[in-house]
Amino acid sequence: MLSDRLKAKFDSVIARYPLKRSAIVPLLLFAQDEIGYVSDEAVEEIARRVGVNPIEVIEDIGYYSMLHRQPVGKFHLQVCTNISCMLRGGEKIFEHCAKELGIEHKQTTPDGLFSLEEVECLGACCGAPAMQVNYDFYENVTPEKLDALLADLRKKDQGSRIKD
Amino acid sequence: MAEPIKLSIDGKPVTVPPGTLLIEAAKQVGIEVPSFCYYPGLSLQGACRMCLVAIEKMPKLQTACTTVVTNGMVVHTDTPEVANTRKSMLEFLLTNHPLDCPVCDKGGECELQDAVFRYGAAETRFLEGKLHEEEKKFSNLVYYDRPRCILCFRCIRVCDEGMDVNAYGIGFRAAHSEIIPNRGEQLECEECGMCIDICPVGALTSGTYRYKTRPWEVTYTGTICNHCGDGCRTTLSVRNNVVIRANNRDHSGLNGEFLCVKGRFGWDFVNSERRLKSPLLRKNGKQEEASWEEALTFTVERLKTILAEHGPGAVAVIGSNRTTNEEDYLLQRFARTVLGTNDIDHHRTADFSSLVRALTEAGATDRYATIEDISAAKSLLLIGNDPTHQHPLIAYQIRQAVRQHGARLYIVNSREIKLRRQSSQYLQVKPQGEAEAVRALAGQAPAAQDLCAGGTGALTALADALKKESDTVILFGDEIQGQTVNDLVTCGLTLPGKTRFVALGDYANSRGAADMGLLPDTLPGYQPLSNEKARERMESAWAAKIPAAPGRNIRSIFEGIRAGEIKALLVFGANPVKTFGLDNAALTGLQLLFVAELFRTETAELANVVVPAASFAEKSGTVTNTCGEVQALKRTMRQAGTRSDLEILLALARLFGQRWTYQSPEDVLREIIALVPGYDIPLPSLLVGRAVPTHPEGRPPALERPDLVFSSRDSLFTSGTLSRYSWALNSVDEAKKPYGHAF
Amino acid sequence: MGNILKEITNSATALAKGFSITFKTMLRPTVTENYPHQPPTFEDRYRGLHVLRRDENGLEKCVACFLCAAACPSNCIYIEAAENTAAHRISAAERYAKVYNIDYNRCIFCGYCVEACPCDAITHGHGFEISAYDTNALIYRKEQLLEPLPASAKK
Repeated sequence: MLSDRLKAKFDSVIARYPLKRSAIVPLLLFAQDEIGYVSDEAVEEIARRVGVNPIEVIEDIGYYSMLHRQPVGKFHLQVCTNISCMLRGGEKIFEHCAKELGIEHKQTTPDGLFSLEEVECLGACCGAPAMQVNYDFYENVTPEKLDALLADLRKKDQGSRIKD
Repeated sequence: MAEPIKLSIDGKPVTVPPGTLLIEAAKQVGIEVPSFCYYPGLSLQGACRMCLVAIEKMPKLQTACTTVVTNGMVVHTDTPEVANTRKSMLEFLLTNHPLDCPVCDKGGECELQDAVFRYGAAETRFLEGKLHEEEKKFSNLVYYDRPRCILCFRCIRVCDEGMDVNAYGIGFRAAHSEIIPNRGEQLECEECGMCIDICPVGALTSGTYRYKTRPWEVTYTGTICNHCGDGCRTTLSVRNNVVIRANNRDHSGLNGEFLCVKGRFGWDFVNSERRLKSPLLRKNGKQEEASWEEALTFTVERLKTILAEHGPGAVAVIGSNRTTNEEDYLLQRFARTVLGTNDIDHHRTADFSSLVRALTEAGATDRYATIEDISAAKSLLLIGNDPTHQHPLIAYQIRQAVRQHGARLYIVNSREIKLRRQSSQYLQVKPQGEAEAVRALAGQAPAAQDLCAGGTGALTALADALKKESDTVILFGDEIQGQTVNDLVTCGLTLPGKTRFVALGDYANSRGAADMGLLPDTLPGYQPLSNEKARERMESAWAAKIPAAPGRNIRSIFEGIRAGEIKALLVFGANPVKTFGLDNAALTGLQLLFVAELFRTETAELANVVVPAASFAEKSGTVTNTCGEVQALKRTMRQAGTRSDLEILLALARLFGQRWTYQSPEDVLREIIALVPGYDIPLPSLLVGRAVPTHPEGRPPALERPDLVFSSRDSLFTSGTLSRYSWALNSVDEAKKPYGHAF
Repeated sequence: MGNILKEITNSATALAKGFSITFKTMLRPTVTENYPHQPPTFEDRYRGLHVLRRDENGLEKCVACFLCAAACPSNCIYIEAAENTAAHRISAAERYAKVYNIDYNRCIFCGYCVEACPCDAITHGHGFEISAYDTNALIYRKEQLLEPLPASAKK
């Protein structure tokens, strides 16, 4: 079941667009923020609300790499390997990440903490190599900085668990 | 009419109507512009870029498939630039293509293969390895091979626009784009296989044909599909006496490229292991294999005894909805003249008799609609029936009419049929309320307040809308029968323009069975038995007496058997036990039950004599579709041990001492053409594969009782008894969905 | 007189010319083959009985594309194709030849099939002893045409 808060959000977002189907991507993002991924139920609901066939919503999810049909880890590491980042060592960052976490592209660590993805340009070429963790950007990443970041994230997770 | 457009292509002057696409204009003067994504009748895509041509005064090459011609346009398709572009586009398309032509099912009839042969690009300049992905099984009937796919999106468009199913989408992007099915890894759709047929490469392959043979290794025979009453032309591919696939290869006939799941995959009952191959004779309560001679002699001897003891009233005949016109004609001749009984009937699935009578009485026998009339109609009124399930071709043609010519579709139905998505007005009436709605529309009886959800206002709105239309095609199912057909025709003829009518009957030759007089009170061509002139005409042609009194209809035949009045029943290609839900005791009073069938059906199990009949692929003849168009069946193969119903009837007649002179189905057809009113069809048109419309004229007696005409409500995946013996039709999960399910 | 002398000279020349070939040939190695007492020798490209090849894993190379049958001018090749499954794998591709017959009553050993084969699956071997008392025996099945499994292939 989708929460009432999400449904209310859907209503208000759809109202903002002159063409209903223009709201598909924002709706998908809101749904993913709440559920963690885009569930079948969310696909059906969005398709119904904007009046398209569910397959068209699934097409959009496939097109945008930031949308997921399966749950991803708590921290979703997205490493850019597009041209600017590549020239500044983005691929090395990605490989380092993979080695440290023991996972590959589009995989999640067994504890469900980290997911890794090689992504296209994040629009942060000025700070290449760049990466994104959930919605936060990290620029001029080096392997050392990355290690520190991973440790930091692990600590953050521990902290949140103690609080829970 | 707007002024035609004049342009020049490769120096050749072309004149075409405005709005023509450049690619079509080029085709008209015999200049081929290669393309993959362009398909006549589908929306424009411009995805493959193969059709780029040079147009003077345009800075870059233009796609011929999306460019509309204008006056004075000067087009070149033979410049080095265009040739180079074609080569480069092919190189791009082959970037990830595996070039596994020797293995691929499409090899030999592949558009990509042809294009590469013609335009080059056999060598690639890419150094990177090709992306590979494993083949995916979308369903038991549809497989998808991503590497072969060139992303022309024809499958997506035909599924969406042609079939209104929308089962395909595009997943992911760029080099990783692929065709995705609607249910995760699986398809849930009508399984029509249009996507397989339309695929220009071997990306989508058929579950029943894949890796079996190669296209040049089989023989192709154009014949008519044996399932529903639409009469689609289909090409059977046969190798070693086994049907391997069916598709309308040359896109000829009234269905063009269309075939539904039954037409494309439902032919495999022909090859079924369970086909009867030898006659069965009941000895000591058990059916045992017997020779043809033994079985037929036994039947005739038993018949002669019964006729001698009880008279012709003790023998009844049930005909088929699938056998050819020739066989039906001979069957009723056999019953009326050899057995001397008019107790002959078949499972009537639409009230054709009433339609013929109504149109004859109104003097409007030119108002039978053809399939082409449906697709070209500006306005359509559909009453009852669910064409999506029962008449896939007619449903397709209705969708074509709506989508391509902006036709208005009006629907009166008690169920939420899928075609309502295309309708301008959809009048949902209460269950079994269709006839009442028609009577109300015709002004015969006022409608009850609860007839439709929106009150009687909706009905008035429908009537008003219809009055503004012209040349409406009215289609009706078994819900409308007897007097109501008369009301509908009278009312329809008052509408503006040339209103036309179609009665929707279930099976391949339902219409032909009625036309050929498999009815207790009607001679061939809807001539009533009571009409002395008509009777005498047949009597003199057949040199035999026809009993004048009408016989028993099919319900009375069953009652007669129960009452012990009927001692012998001959059944040709029908399964009345199942169709009419007869109980086990219903036929026990018979001294002879003779069944000619393909399979050991419920009726055949009870029979004294069962003879193996030939299927539609194994015989020639003609069938008449539900619109009254006659088409020719062509024999494509032989099945050892079987005989066609025609051969069986001739053998029976011979054993009865008759001297019938027919040598072939054609001889019978010639007699039909000469004798049956409305069937004076030109033989040559028939033989070249055309659908020839008929215009029967006659005043058959009124429908005796309402439970004589009823549809089997076959879904997309069922077809009476035959579908039970088809692996393909039962292999898909969708077959478990009930009749009326909208995919 | 002169005529007689001329005749003698001419005859002697002719004899010497003729016998020179005889004697030369006498000294050359013999070309007559002692078949069937000794095995015959073949040129590499001799077009004998066909051999269906296997790949390095012992799988059949033939993918049943039917191109050999299409190229055959005497129509002597008959194939039935079937699909490989994971459990029952005969060739490396999706399809394999379930039945592969060559009718040696009709084969003219033209080699077009070998040329047509995109997989180098069918080749000409050096087999030639195919005479039989029964024409049916001249229809060779796939089993007779296939090359034996290589020792390296694990079975």
